[in-house]
Amino acid sequence: MSETSAPYLSAKNITKDFGETRVLDDVSMGINSGDVISIVGPSGAGKSTFLRCINLLETPTSGLLEIGDFKISIGPGHKSATKKELSTLRRNVGMVFQSFNLFPHLTVMENISLAQKRVLGRNDDEAKERAMTLLDRVGLRDKADQYPGRCSGGQQQRVAIARSLSLDPKVMLFDEPTSALDPEVGAEILSVMKELANEGMTMMVVTHEMGFAREVADTVHVMVDGRVVESGNPEKIMNDPEHPRTRKFLGAVLGR
Amino acid sequence: MQAQTWFGYIWELLPGVVTALELTGIALALGYPLALLMALLINSAPRPIAWLSIAFVEVGRGIPLLVLLYIFYQGLPQIDIIPSAMNAAITAFTWSTAGYATEIIRSSLQSVPNGQLEAASSVGLSDSDRFRFVILPQAARIAIPPLMGLAIIMFQLTSLAYVIAVSEVMQAAYFLGTKTFNYLPVFLAAAAVYAAITIPASALVTSIERRLARHV
Amino acid sequence: MVLYILQGLIWTVIITVGSFAIGSLLGVAVAGARTAASKIVRVLGRIYVEIIRSVPPLVWLFLVFFGLAEIGLKLTPFQAAMLTFSVIASAYLGEIYRGGLATLGRGQIEASNSLGLSRLDLLVRIVSPQVFRTVSPSMVTYGIGLMKDSALASTIGVVEMTFRANQVTQNTGQGLAAFAIVGGAYLLLSIPLGFWARGVDEKMRKKYVVN
Repeated sequence: MSETSAPYLSAKNITKDFGETRVLDDVSMGINSGDVISIVGPSGAGKSTFLRCINLLETPTSGLLEIGDFKISIGPGHKSATKKELSTLRRNVGMVFQSFNLFPHLTVMENISLAQKRVLGRNDDEAKERAMTLLDRVGLRDKADQYPGRCSGGQQQRVAIARSLSLDPKVMLFDEPTSALDPEVGAEILSVMKELANEGMTMMVVTHEMGFAREVADTVHVMVDGRVVESGNPEKIMNDPEHPRTRKFLGAVLGR
Repeated sequence: MQAQTWFGYIWELLPGVVTALELTGIALALGYPLALLMALLINSAPRPIAWLSIAFVEVGRGIPLLVLLYIFYQGLPQIDIIPSAMNAAITAFTWSTAGYATEIIRSSLQSVPNGQLEAASSVGLSDSDRFRFVILPQAARIAIPPLMGLAIIMFQLTSLAYVIAVSEVMQAAYFLGTKTFNYLPVFLAAAAVYAAITIPASALVTSIERRLARHV
Repeated sequence: MVLYILQGLIWTVIITVGSFAIGSLLGVAVAGARTAASKIVRVLGRIYVEIIRSVPPLVWLFLVFFGLAEIGLKLTPFQAAMLTFSVIASAYLGEIYRGGLATLGRGQIEASNSLGLSRLDLLVRIVSPQVFRTVSPSMVTYGIGLMKDSALASTIGVVEMTFRANQVTQNTGQGLAAFAIVGGAYLLLSIPLGFWARGVDEKMRKKYVVN
């Protein structure tokens, strides 16, 4: 595993309320550079919400976020993040969504080039070159000029991964990337993610795919009802869970 | 009735059609950008300005166009502003167009799926870039068919400008009627003229709608 | 002045509500024609709707009031307005119904048929209530539009608000005040109705949307 100095990314005491309901209750997680974290748990546990707090798509009610040199305290009394801070944050933290969210009115190539040009200031040629490299990596070079509407779900998700990688992020967040796909197609996506992990990408993955968690993740966090109930390495969690909720969840998921 | 008389009537009405198209064109050219501005103000401007914009839109939509026409042509003179018939018509039509178009545009902006906004944000695009490259293009595709439909409706409504003596179709028809003492055929000719323009235009809008739906 | 002008409101309401009521009944026939089994009936229905919607209401008003008079059928301004707006409403409401029917889906019809319900039962107990719930917001929105169109009746002499405002302007020259009153009246009517339509829409969505 990687050197355990200060974690590259650390979220501390993240709490999120939606009106009266507390969706995230004092969640803390850290990840070292090059590590892969898998977040699992029943639906409604707040896993996706937590992930989206990391790149501030959701603003926590309170908490502390540290990513590399970027540090922000959130909550009453603190200023909200400036546009510049948000931009820097999202340049370094990429996200892949369950529903792909490709821009339907742009070609695959344009989808991958847009952010490079507007956010990183790369010129058209650089952006296209990088896009092509990434498309090669996910095996979709020939789809460059197609519109997302003409691509299958699996292809769209691969384009989405390429799009997030185009900014050369330091951390990648995956929010149930295979839940909207057939199992076979999902497996392809998972193998792309495995390759990414092997190349040293720092990844936080919310997923139901326990196989992925076991094979690729360095740490598994189990979330239930907005809290982390158990954390540890995948082998231990799955074979010898301590917390009753973890056992219950795993029983349902693995006992199929 | 002879075909020749029919064609004669329609021929006499044509200048009115030109004026009607001019009036529609100007109202749209002024009204649509105004509507986009209003939509943006209502969504994003500070409260007082947003409220003013809402008021502007609600008045444009809530008052019958006929009444708006009268307000500008017969009302303003009370405070010593005496617009020409055409200017009064342009103002009234623009306001009304902007009123209805704002709703269409706002609705189309809202129809862009949330996932698109999130993807754009997550990839670091600034708010203005997000609006320019992701929201606006998709909203435009959604808004174009209803906006075209509105244009057709506005063209039909130019008939109202008759009451303030704008020389559009109905005015021409009226004069023709007084000359020939035959109102019925003249008005039928007017109806035919409107239908002849509206029906193909509507068909065009429907086909464009279908084509846009296919792409996205 | 205010009172004189506002008295015209009665006519506005009568014309609007009356035409809407008649139009909503006739509209059923229109929707029926548009969805009939016989192709001829469907085409006739289509022609009816297309022609009515392709000609501006003002032109229809003039045709009915001035035009019919020339061939012997002299109507009062009120009658002409009622007739014209009822027919126009039937076309628009018929189309609204048709849209609602299309949304309903075949499943309902098939389920009812398999339960052995008669066609009339199907229509009254199953189809109509659901279509009504779906189209109510559109109907209210159309009603608001109809109310604004009713101002046109002033051009053929119905003594409603706009007509009175015109009179007042000619007599006193206070056009701005007169028409501001009319405008205000329409706003006071249409804005709450607009909110009501939106409220109805949301209620329908919450309660009855199954898919």
